[in-house]
Amino acid sequence: MENLTIQATKYTPEINLDTFGMISLTGKSYPENTFDFYEPMMQWVREYFASSPADETVVNMEIIYFNSSSSKLFFDFFDLLDEVKENHRISINWIYDEENESAEEAGEDFIEDFENLDIKLVVK
Amino acid sequence: MDINEIQNIVEDDGIIFLTYGGFLSQSLIASMTEALEKEAESNDLKMSISNNIFTIFIELSQNMMNYSKSKDINDNSIKPEGLIIVSRDNNGNYFIDSRNIISREDKDKIEPKLIEIDSLDLDGIKKRYKELRRSGKNTHGKGGGIGFYEIAKRCDKIEYDFKEINENKFYFHIKTFLLEKKEQL
Repeated sequence: MENLTIQATKYTPEINLDTFGMISLTGKSYPENTFDFYEPMMQWVREYFASSPADETVVNMEIIYFNSSSSKLFFDFFDLLDEVKENHRISINWIYDEENESAEEAGEDFIEDFENLDIKLVVK
Repeated sequence: MDINEIQNIVEDDGIIFLTYGGFLSQSLIASMTEALEKEAESNDLKMSISNNIFTIFIELSQNMMNYSKSKDINDNSIKPEGLIIVSRDNNGNYFIDSRNIISREDKDKIEPKLIEIDSLDLDGIKKRYKELRRSGKNTHGKGGGIGFYEIAKRCDKIEYDFKEINENKFYFHIKTFLLEKKEQL
């Protein structure tokens, strides 16, 4: 399996998917067709966990702001992680600027929704 | 709409951050969001406020872009265009205002959501947002159906209005208020 990198645009984050066990999203997220945009990432993540993932997978998400369909997509992404967590060690860092209250709240909501996932709030 | 009417939208001697009327595209929305970021920066806006402004602006403008796509091919009479205004008054309150034409089908989808939002307090809106996000699992609709709840979470008040043009078309006007927080007193 190969690594996958997607460069940031004005309205989509930089995405780095590394078979050594690193999934990272950094930037803003408000694509026109959110589910189409993230499909290659979702596909990669599904294949990664189905093949031979690293002993531990670290997910770093640093999303400054995002539209509602991205919020839905991130929910689906966490749901995917939730489904494979029994057999894999996954730690998720939800990273935000101290002043970014809405990002902090979004992270808290995901922690509540996925209490069996290891999601940590990380202030930059 | 003439320029006087645009000026009337901004109360007192408020400042217009951004106003746009016409055809919308994703790249235009991204450029306007970038312009708003610059305005926010030069006005030393707190990130907690500015991110809410950006998100509401994006939701409303992407909605306008998408209303035109949700109809059947035979009726191409609704274009992805409208008017959107971001402004501030002298008291430090921010407003994001959008006006466009929608189909009856879209009105029938939007109106119950806005009525429900109106009946809820902020905690109720947040709870409903999470419920809808969870229940919408694997439904890959355009916005996942939570856009107005996202907006409601991030502002203090929403006013809206539908005016019938004919049996299939309506003017849709929505104004969101981000009020200067009293907690700073």
